[in-house]
Amino acid sequence: MNREHLRGLFSAKSARVNTNKGEEYYNSLYERCKARLEELKKLKPVNNVNIMEVLEDEGINRRDFLKWASAMTATLMLPASFTPLVAEAAEVMNRVPVIWIELQDCAGNSEALLRSDGPKVDEIILDIISLEFHETLMAAAGHQAEEQLEDAMHHFKGKYLLFVEGAIPLANGGVYGTIGASGETFEEHLHRVAKDAAAVVAVGTCATFGGVPAAAPNPTGAVGVMDIVKGKPIVNIPACPANPANMVGVILHYVLTGQIPELDSLLRPKFAFGYRIHDNCERRAHFDAGEFVEEWGDEGAKNNFCLYKVGCKGPMTFNNCSIIRYNEAVNWPIGAGHGCIGCSEPDFWDKYAYERPMADANIKAPTGGVEKTVDEFGLGLLTAAAVGIGIHAAFSAVAGKKEECEIEEGDR
Amino acid sequence: MRVELIEKIEGEAKLEYKFKENKIDFVKIVFPHYRGIEEILRNRPVWDALAINPRVCGICGHAHLFATVRAIENLYQNAGIDVNITEKAKLIREITLFCEHIQNHLKWIYLVIVPIMKSIAKINIDQNSFLEIQKAIVNINRVLAIFSGQWPHSSYMVPGGVVCDPTNLDIMQARNFLKNALYIVEKRVFENMAFEEITVSELEKSRTDSGKIFRFLKENSLLSIGKANDRYLIFGEHSFTKRVKIIKTVSYPVKIKYVKEKSQKSGFAKNVTYKNNYYETGPLARMMLLKPNLIKQLHRVYKDGISTRIFARVLEILFLLKKVEAHLNSIELSQKSYNHIKTEIKEGFGESAVEAARGSLIHKIWIEKNRIKKYEIITPTQWNLSNGTLQNPATAQKAMIGLKNSKLAELVFRTFDVCSVCTTH
Repeated sequence: MNREHLRGLFSAKSARVNTNKGEEYYNSLYERCKARLEELKKLKPVNNVNIMEVLEDEGINRRDFLKWASAMTATLMLPASFTPLVAEAAEVMNRVPVIWIELQDCAGNSEALLRSDGPKVDEIILDIISLEFHETLMAAAGHQAEEQLEDAMHHFKGKYLLFVEGAIPLANGGVYGTIGASGETFEEHLHRVAKDAAAVVAVGTCATFGGVPAAAPNPTGAVGVMDIVKGKPIVNIPACPANPANMVGVILHYVLTGQIPELDSLLRPKFAFGYRIHDNCERRAHFDAGEFVEEWGDEGAKNNFCLYKVGCKGPMTFNNCSIIRYNEAVNWPIGAGHGCIGCSEPDFWDKYAYERPMADANIKAPTGGVEKTVDEFGLGLLTAAAVGIGIHAAFSAVAGKKEECEIEEGDR
Repeated sequence: MRVELIEKIEGEAKLEYKFKENKIDFVKIVFPHYRGIEEILRNRPVWDALAINPRVCGICGHAHLFATVRAIENLYQNAGIDVNITEKAKLIREITLFCEHIQNHLKWIYLVIVPIMKSIAKINIDQNSFLEIQKAIVNINRVLAIFSGQWPHSSYMVPGGVVCDPTNLDIMQARNFLKNALYIVEKRVFENMAFEEITVSELEKSRTDSGKIFRFLKENSLLSIGKANDRYLIFGEHSFTKRVKIIKTVSYPVKIKYVKEKSQKSGFAKNVTYKNNYYETGPLARMMLLKPNLIKQLHRVYKDGISTRIFARVLEILFLLKKVEAHLNSIELSQKSYNHIKTEIKEGFGESAVEAARGSLIHKIWIEKNRIKKYEIITPTQWNLSNGTLQNPATAQKAMIGLKNSKLAELVFRTFDVCSVCTTH
């Protein structure tokens, strides 16, 4: 395998996101968005909050707000000319009601959302968007909360975005997750609330692919939202926790265009999951140069070398966290010296969540490509390793279905 | 019987009340969820627990990671393998753990306690307070993320140390974020930041939200409701805690081997006892060990009523902010972050305890043929919210018995800072 071939694999069409769809496309999209925002402005806001007033109260000026809008425009992979539209969309976000339900999970996505980033996006979330129902955030609780959910579903029939956090346990008739006094199962609950939603957004790896509860032997029969809800637009925002920037991005996109964003074959928004972590990793240059952390705390670790040999799954993981990062963009796992565990990929809990070098994990790419150990074969094989990774990644992008990873007998 | 549903506890709980002569005679606590994490861990390679366990909880994932790391380290130690953790790694592990406590406690006051108080009577704490506190929480999580990469759910602690290698610049940034948080907490939560010196009379006069909460409890005659068994447990060993049980105000040493978990007929949560007795764990237990002025004074008058329990948690915020500051100042960057451990053992047992925000978290691991044979997790809410009998009620049950209505019972229930997802792992 030569470098040319390698480059070919990494830049294969399937591994790419089309960030420039041509002037004609963007002009027509611009007009559509403008019309949509005009329509939204005519609607009565669900709550009477003026974003600019709230921001000013908090000491945030227009300039800072536009900076955020510009960053968000880039996140959504739109040309810079869309920035004023994104800002306008944020201002009319309170015309789109959001219902958030929590099923079988650890509440990590709600927690991440509570601390979402951007200038005052916390305010946007708490005040501006019309979060009509959220068990953890809202004031009502118990029976009162149930009534509130009914009201929101009725009042905003066919208009609300339903955010679902958590998996759906199906084993033993759904006994492992029930809700409310009636003992409604999570499956019934999801069916009921999703019925009149405009679109369903599955947040976090539990809601998208079943998550840790679905890890072998999947004692509760956990599945994701797309296995239950049919005949509705579904957006998957996997990762554990999902990045709040991507949640806000989906809402903004919906407000802006009236549609869900362009999705890949795993129903993930392309703006967020269009490329691998590895493609934009700050340590990528070290991978290319063959410089690896051999053991945590060694000289390589001190010099921020590539973490592939201590178990990083970045080359197999599609997500934008190498760009967006976490917690106000302060850091991300790789920044703190720990490899990616591939938490936004289907079955990560059984395939990738190995806390040791990949070489010891008996994970094989569909082509059988991931090497045994880099050391055993020397730098020549490093290229082969990368090729294996490239094939694997390209495969997952093309096929877009659950990747068949062989796990050796007795490994589980 | 009257059944109430309780949300905003990261999941759901059901409280089944029995009333007698217009007073609560007994309460059964039921958690209707289950994920099966202990079953999922079975037969996996030992280190896989490091990726699975933080996902037990979205709020105290760090504590679960820490407990997992310590359980595996204990496993190696029991097999005669040297486990040498540098002072630097110990400090960093504690900084992130304490930050997790701080953000949890702040959120608990403003998202859980204040709203339930508002539903009982008027209290002058508005949404702006929360929005400002939100900034403090964001800053605390930034401190966390500098070392751990992200919050929630990180994997930066590993047996042998931590994987991060902070620079001077990182420490400076962390200090700066912490300073921002301190400033807000001082303004909103407590004016006097001298943890040891705060007194009840100072609290009562305070213009901050703590003062408002105290006056709310006083004006509504709620200062002494919610008394439990006045028995406390601490298992996690950190720079300010040790393994003790405290009965009234006297401490005695304890051992994990006397902790017993037992399944219940209703719900998936298990009961937990120490030598067949129910104990309270969490900030009140920790403050009963440290004995700051405020807690001594409150306990003398109101015993383990809700005022003592609430202000133990509030006070712990101040204590931990100062502790994080001191830790940041003591890190020797030249020390190693990680010391390699020889990890080849086939069979063995390890156990650990860590103080999570809500109390003592215990992990136990058994391995066979280099795989996890069995993994046991005992969480703080299990301690506080076990179900005893009418004659021998468990902690939260005891605290709710005798109250006049379920609204007050819910307030008492929430003072334990319940976590459903941990409890039903």
